[in-house]
Amino acid sequence: MTAVARRPFRAGPAVLALVLAALAAAAVLALLAADPAFDGGAGDPMATLVLVHSTLPRLATALIAGAALGLSGGLFQQVLRNPMASPTTLGVSAGANLGLVVATLLMPGLLGFGRDLVALAGSAAAACVVLFLGARRGFSPFSMVLSGLVISLWCGALAAILTLLNDRYLVSLFIWGAGSLSQQSWDVPLTLLFRFVAVAVCSVLILRPLSVMELGEESAAALGVKVARLRVMAVAAAVVLAAFVTSAVGVIGFVGLVAPIVARLAGARRTSEILVWASVIGGAVLLFVDAGLQIVAGRFSEFLPTGAITAVFGSPLLLLLLPRLKTRHRMLPPAQTPRRPLVKGRKTALLVAAGLAVAVLVGLLLGRSVDGGWALAYGTTAGELLPIRAPKVVATLASGALLAVAGAMLQRLTGNEMASPEVLGISAGATFGVAAAIFLLPAPQLAGQLGAASIGAFAVLGVILATSLRSGLAPERILIAGIALGAMVDAVVGVLSSLGDPRALLLMRWMSGSTYAVNAGTAGIVAAAAALLIILALLFRRWLDLLPLGPVHSRALGVPTTLSRLVLFVLAGLMTAAATLSVGPLSFIGLMGPHLAREIGLARALPHMAGAAALGGGLMVLADWIGRTAFFPYQVPAGLVSALVGAPFLILVLRRRA
Amino acid sequence: MPSRRRVLRSLAGLALSLPAVRAYAAGSMRIASLDYGLASTLLSLGLKPVAVSERADWGKWVVEPALPAEVRDLGSTFEVNVEMLAMLKPDLILITPYLDGLRQQLDGFGPVLRLSIFAEDSGPILPAAVAATRRLGAVVGRERQAEDFLRRSDAFFAACRERIARLSPPPLAFVNFMDARHARIYGAPGLFDNVLERIGVRNAWPEPSNFWGFQTIALEDLARVRDPEARLVAFEPIPGDVRPTLANSPLWRALPFARPGHFSVLPAALMFGMVNEAMRFAGLVTDMLEREP
Repeated sequence: MTAVARRPFRAGPAVLALVLAALAAAAVLALLAADPAFDGGAGDPMATLVLVHSTLPRLATALIAGAALGLSGGLFQQVLRNPMASPTTLGVSAGANLGLVVATLLMPGLLGFGRDLVALAGSAAAACVVLFLGARRGFSPFSMVLSGLVISLWCGALAAILTLLNDRYLVSLFIWGAGSLSQQSWDVPLTLLFRFVAVAVCSVLILRPLSVMELGEESAAALGVKVARLRVMAVAAAVVLAAFVTSAVGVIGFVGLVAPIVARLAGARRTSEILVWASVIGGAVLLFVDAGLQIVAGRFSEFLPTGAITAVFGSPLLLLLLPRLKTRHRMLPPAQTPRRPLVKGRKTALLVAAGLAVAVLVGLLLGRSVDGGWALAYGTTAGELLPIRAPKVVATLASGALLAVAGAMLQRLTGNEMASPEVLGISAGATFGVAAAIFLLPAPQLAGQLGAASIGAFAVLGVILATSLRSGLAPERILIAGIALGAMVDAVVGVLSSLGDPRALLLMRWMSGSTYAVNAGTAGIVAAAAALLIILALLFRRWLDLLPLGPVHSRALGVPTTLSRLVLFVLAGLMTAAATLSVGPLSFIGLMGPHLAREIGLARALPHMAGAAALGGGLMVLADWIGRTAFFPYQVPAGLVSALVGAPFLILVLRRRA
Repeated sequence: MPSRRRVLRSLAGLALSLPAVRAYAAGSMRIASLDYGLASTLLSLGLKPVAVSERADWGKWVVEPALPAEVRDLGSTFEVNVEMLAMLKPDLILITPYLDGLRQQLDGFGPVLRLSIFAEDSGPILPAAVAATRRLGAVVGRERQAEDFLRRSDAFFAACRERIARLSPPPLAFVNFMDARHARIYGAPGLFDNVLERIGVRNAWPEPSNFWGFQTIALEDLARVRDPEARLVAFEPIPGDVRPTLANSPLWRALPFARPGHFSVLPAALMFGMVNEAMRFAGLVTDMLEREP
């Protein structure tokens, strides 16, 4: 510490923190000035009680939770040398949330005393998976954030389906998942403060070696820092902080990401500066947002979850900061390890085709009877059931193929194995469109929902392309912009859901990837779109073969960088929008299809995309079939089935390749 | 794109429905209900629905009247299993405006009857439920049974009112706890609020609710109930960590509800129901007031 204190003091971050703190203080004063405890004189003991045991502890909680998240984000960013790392973007908060949802539903008794442990287990598991995936790519910032986002999505999907299947009228889990700070006593802020201080002391102990890490891993190791051990300790501290906050108040989006970034932009350079100012700024920001929210919410007497609101405002901020984050962190070239095919040549094509045929036949013919027994459809029964099943099989086949090809294109385009339509934010845009239709139109019919979904998808695609055009559509920029917009849309939907409107359930259903609304008309449209767009994609196979070589080599071979990126991103966006309409925003088929195709030895663009289409389509058909029959007559959305099965499977595949 | 066969079948279904209704009025009409309230009303008209959506949760929310074992489950309300409908071939499918988004999916699986109880413009809920009961009775050819049932319910509400009038009850606020910090509180307009007015109990929650009859609040908002005599009634199910949290909360302990005898718990009652559910609610409240005056 003394060595740090001797260096010149930089005023920038302190000034900024002071300004933010002043803003927060002003909001708090405005809130308290309107408080009935001061307003109507001392006549009302109840108003004083609310002030002392609810309003004040809530403000204290906001301050401490914000500081804890800021410190957590700062630790992540410093130790991983990744300016995009945070509890939100690494999936740590979502993991804690999932742990708590599972415990609430399966072992409610555990929550009484073991709440923190449950949250900790969830976030630690998420962190381990993300770090493991990141370690394979040398902790490259964008890879880490992409893996984190995928884990976040997966945890969110699982939490949603568990809730949907178990709870009809109570939407408590959504409220809490959206991060509410309201309090009834000083218990929560005091325990949180104690934990925050404990972890902060631990971080001070590792501050010196952490500062040395700034010099780079090799130099740090040469100076006697045990890099691996240090990394584990710092990450553990950050994970623990995020888990405590999530356990106490739910998921508070983006504070942990924004606070250290703002500290750095204000001029904080050394690790100690960043950690201190990130904590201060995090606390001030959350306090400001929460106090402001209470003023607004009081006026409308509505219930608004703070965590979702921070995400609504935090994610555009990330978008604005993006161009300024000229990362001083290294990007790794994409790994191009050759893979040994499992089977060879024509046999592969035959096997894939046979598998696809089996999937389609099962999807069409095998189902359940009225009594719940298994039954093959034939004769008159087939006449009644096939008109119901055929559109779903066709639509899921087409959507799966579309997503898989879009995923293959994105992975080739970005050279990133975790790139997929889900992370492009287009799915989120479609979701937002549907949300708007459900909440704004009196009785949205299917056509209205579909139209709204397309408008949303293209709006998001437009914004993403517009914000990244200046960088020549650098793939990393586009992915991060997609993440930011996707998170914002998720947050808006979270706010809508937690208002307790029963229509929110309708939205949740669609978001979880249900094929229920698919009819012959939608199936026809999606199938036609699939045929057209996939053929188009195959026409660009030369670009897709050359782009993974990197911009320099591919330009030398005659591929126009910006134009090819624009065309391919728009094409992938169109494919995603078309598919999202029938299978929802989240399926992981766009990740699974291309990886499976590679796994069976399809390396060049043309066979890779064709194989991905067949595999993705077949998997989606099977996922839909499982969803329709597993809990008959209740139906699990196809997108969810494939997400639940797909994500762990994907991690296995990636692990095998490591 | 509906197939020609389907269009023909639904047209035929519509044309047939009225005569068919008369023919089936004897008691063999096969009705599928996508709403708990409509299903329980059918039972009160002496008709057993052939299938009900989300039958699995009936015992958790509706409780009484009990659903006969042979009534089949149609799956989740938002995604009624159409394969089930295709195999069961109901003569009538009952829905509410809440399920308008489902309308297209149901085409071709039988005539659909939409009865409006909870809607933006449906006005007070209990009268709307009574009107829907009459309309349902007319459509299924059971007008007499519907009038009998409504008379029974009127008599029941009147009896409750009389029993309560003897007690001079305190105002009551009704909630479902969602977690240790949030609740849904039932206000006007709403089924529960209508029933309270009918049986002569004052709703302690003064603020308006959405047309479903509830409002989501943080627990400290309960301090907005000003009447010191007011009592709080929570319906089951209560999440596990609510009671210990409340016991430790100084704010809760300061609320008038925390005093002994000012907080009660009742078994589940469906807040989005019809006349049967209103009667169950009235009965639970009246019994409670007599038990704990």
